[in-house]
Amino acid sequence: MTAPVMPVAPTYGAHEAPFDVSLIITFAVPAFVLLILLEMIITKVTKKGRYEVTDSATSLSMGLGNRIFGILFGAFAVGAYFWVYEYRLFDLGWTLPVLVACFFAEDLAYYWFHRVAHERRWFWASHVVHHSSQHYNLTTALRQTWTGTLGLSFIFWLPLVYIGFPPLMVLMFSAFSLVYQFWIHTELIDRMGPFEWVMNTPSHHRVHHAINPNYLDANYAGVLIIWDRMFGTFIPERKEEPPRYGIVSQLGTFNPFRVAFHEWIGIWRDVTHAKNAREVLGYMFGPPGWSPDGSRKTSASLKAEWAARQQSSAVPAE
Amino acid sequence: MTAASAGVVVFMVAVAFVLGFRAKTRLDEAALRQLAVNEGDRSAEAVIAANGKAALARLASGKLMVVRVMGADVSARLVAASAARLRLKRDKLSVTFADTGYPPLHMRLSEAPPWVAALAAGEAK
Repeated sequence: MTAPVMPVAPTYGAHEAPFDVSLIITFAVPAFVLLILLEMIITKVTKKGRYEVTDSATSLSMGLGNRIFGILFGAFAVGAYFWVYEYRLFDLGWTLPVLVACFFAEDLAYYWFHRVAHERRWFWASHVVHHSSQHYNLTTALRQTWTGTLGLSFIFWLPLVYIGFPPLMVLMFSAFSLVYQFWIHTELIDRMGPFEWVMNTPSHHRVHHAINPNYLDANYAGVLIIWDRMFGTFIPERKEEPPRYGIVSQLGTFNPFRVAFHEWIGIWRDVTHAKNAREVLGYMFGPPGWSPDGSRKTSASLKAEWAARQQSSAVPAE
Repeated sequence: MTAASAGVVVFMVAVAFVLGFRAKTRLDEAALRQLAVNEGDRSAEAVIAANGKAALARLASGKLMVVRVMGADVSARLVAASAARLRLKRDKLSVTFADTGYPPLHMRLSEAPPWVAALAAGEAK
């Protein structure tokens, strides 16, 4: 007789996972469709929230284009994950503690990706697509970039696989994060009590999409709002200041191709007119709105102008 | 798969259409004044397209404010007068921008005010 063997967690190779990770999005899509239809009907009946048919058509087209570009170029990002994983520091494997750690690590990576995507024009050129709608509803969640992989957005997750989190585990939590972030794009759900202390919610994310000066550059969270609270970028929604949505320089078009590429065109134009290397770097990697002479508006300058206006209006007239 | 996804997109847009989410806004002077205030400026002079779907305003700061109706919304953008090129041909005004990512503005005017004609002639920039 052999001694009884204690059951152990199955081990998976670098290219294996307990289930097909791509199924997360596949199964989520029908739910997305149903929830959008439900939100439309509730909006129609209650008059709460806003929809506009052309805006939604653009958002949904961007979502479709995102899937097509994902099929065309996604393998490049996945390949980079597996390549870096070859040089990993630790063999972490698929265990419960590693899964928990990976969840937090992925969400932290998302926070920094998202923050940099707002603070640096190169990454903003892809991410601006998601903010280009003047509406905030579930179709806005699907208004996604076509150029994320080509713009190297995936590099923010490479440290995770370098540490030793299996690439498919990182991709799995990225997919979960994407699915989680769908439902928070709505005006139908108000504040959510203690849930808001830890989790990203519709209220927190409305602030993130707002262009009101005092709401700019806030609430970058994916799933957990704790990162914004930790790194000082959390701003709560205030009843007396309803969010206005879109981008500071509104796009003024529903054309999906212009939505997808306008900021890249802007970078190209600026770089080709730059006078020196400093200007080239500034136009590519400076904050969105950066210009050598400061003539354009950045988030920081907009907030400063707003603060100055607030201060001057608070000074009592003599 | 992609064709099916495209079909779903068309279906959802059709539902939005049937539900009546296709309100159209018309621009007026009051809306332009408010938009300028939102931008921390003041509207000095403005011209609105005959169909009410687009407008061009000169602000107190000297900048131009380009306004377009986007379905039920209004989109406004401020540009330096030197970063916009105006062409006036009879009652048609076309404005193109140094920012080539921003779509050109085309509007039919019932009457072109002198300041628009001056800008189109390359004066007052």
